Amino acid sequence: MHHKFVGSLCVLACLARLAAAPMPAQDDSVKWLNNYQAALRQAKQTHKPIFLEFRCEA
Amino acid sequence: MDDVNVSLFDHDWNTTLYFFLLNADEHIYMRYGGRDSASPDTYLNLQSLELAAAQGLELHREYAGGQIKPAPLPRPVFPREMPLLVERTFALNKCVECHLIGDFQNLQREHDGTLDKLTHVYRSPDIKTLGIILDVPKGLVVKEARGAVQAAGMKTGDRIAALNGTPVWTFGDLQYCYDKVDRQAERIQITVDRGGQSASLSVVLPPRWWWTDVRYRLSSVEPKTYFEDRPLTDEEKRKFGLKLDGFASQVTYIPGVARMKMVKCHDLLVGDIIFAVDGKDRDPLANTADLFIKLTKQPGDAATLDVLRNGERIRMPLTTDRVNFRK
Repeated sequence: MHHKFVGSLCVLACLARLAAAPMPAQDDSVKWLNNYQAALRQAKQTHKPIFLEFRCEA
Repeated sequence: MDDVNVSLFDHDWNTTLYFFLLNADEHIYMRYGGRDSASPDTYLNLQSLELAAAQGLELHREYAGGQIKPAPLPRPVFPREMPLLVERTFALNKCVECHLIGDFQNLQREHDGTLDKLTHVYRSPDIKTLGIILDVPKGLVVKEARGAVQAAGMKTGDRIAALNGTPVWTFGDLQYCYDKVDRQAERIQITVDRGGQSASLSVVLPPRWWWTDVRYRLSSVEPKTYFEDRPLTDEEKRKFGLKLDGFASQVTYIPGVARMKMVKCHDLLVGDIIFAVDGKDRDPLANTADLFIKLTKQPGDAATLDVLRNGERIRMPLTTDRVNFRK
C-alpha cells in the first residue's frame, strides 16, 4: 500500500504517478508528478502526452 | 485514489501495474498492463513497453494532425461517489487500494441487483483459451496460434491489430477489449496484420471462453465453497452412471482452513464426486459443481450436495462463505 500524499490526505493507497513528458530512452531523470490536474495542465502547455501509472502493491 | 476518475481509467483493478497513455483532452491512446492467473508479470516486458511508448507517440502525432478523432468521454465516476466504498473506507479513515475499487463496484452491483457474474466476476478472460500465445517482447505479435484462432486462420508472426473493429496496440488493449465482449457472444472478429496486409478472422468462441482462474483475486461477491474440483471425463461419467452432459466433478483439494472454521462448511473429502447440487445435475454454463455453486449462489447461501463416495451415494449440506479481507 502506498500513501502518495502525506499528512491528512492519507486516503490514497494506490500510487498513481504521472509524467507529462515522453519517456526518453537514456534519461534516468524522469520527473513524475502526483497530481492529475497538474499533469493535464502541463500536457496542455507542452503539447506532450501523459504517461500515467497505477501501481497496487497490496 | 480520491480524485481518480475510475470511469475514465476503467481497467481490471486486480493488477499490480497498469499504465495509460493519454493526452490533455483525456483521449486515451492505449493501455499497457494486465496479467493472467499465472503471474502479474506474464505480459509485462520492457521491450514491449518501449514498443508501446513509441507507438503511443506516433498516435499522439496523428491526433495532433487531426487524423484521430477524440473518443467520447464516459461520465466521470470518483471513488467518493461509491456509497459502499465511502461507508467502509473513507468514512472510517481507511485506505483505498486499487483492488477495492473493483470489489466495491461488484458489492454495489450485488446490492442493486445488477451483478452479472460472467461479466463482473470473471473479468479479463484468458486469451490462451482462444489459443493465442503472444511473443511478449514483441507486443501483439503471435508466437503460436492454437485451437479456436488457429481454426480461424491465425498464424505465427501475425500482429493482432483489432478486436471487433476496435484497434488494439498492446496486450492491455487486447485484454480490455476482450473483456468487453458480450458473454453471450458466439464469435469475435480479430484483425491481424500479416506482412503488411490486413486479414480479418472470424473466431468461434469455445465453450466457457469467459472462464478464467480467479483464485488469485479477492472477491467479496463470489461465494467461498472451501473446495476445488475437476470435471469428470466422459469415460468417468459412464463408469459411475452419471449424465454425460452433467457437471459431475471430483473434489481435488480442501484447504485446511475449511476444517478450522467454527461453522463447518461441508463434510467433503478429497476424491468425492459431486454429481448434483440442490437436485440439479446439469447447467449450460457450469462444467463443475464448484462453478455451478459460484455462478448461482450468493455468499452465505446454503446448498445440498449429492455425493458419490466409495460407491455410496450421500446427500450432505454445504454452507458458502463471504470473503472478508482488509478494507
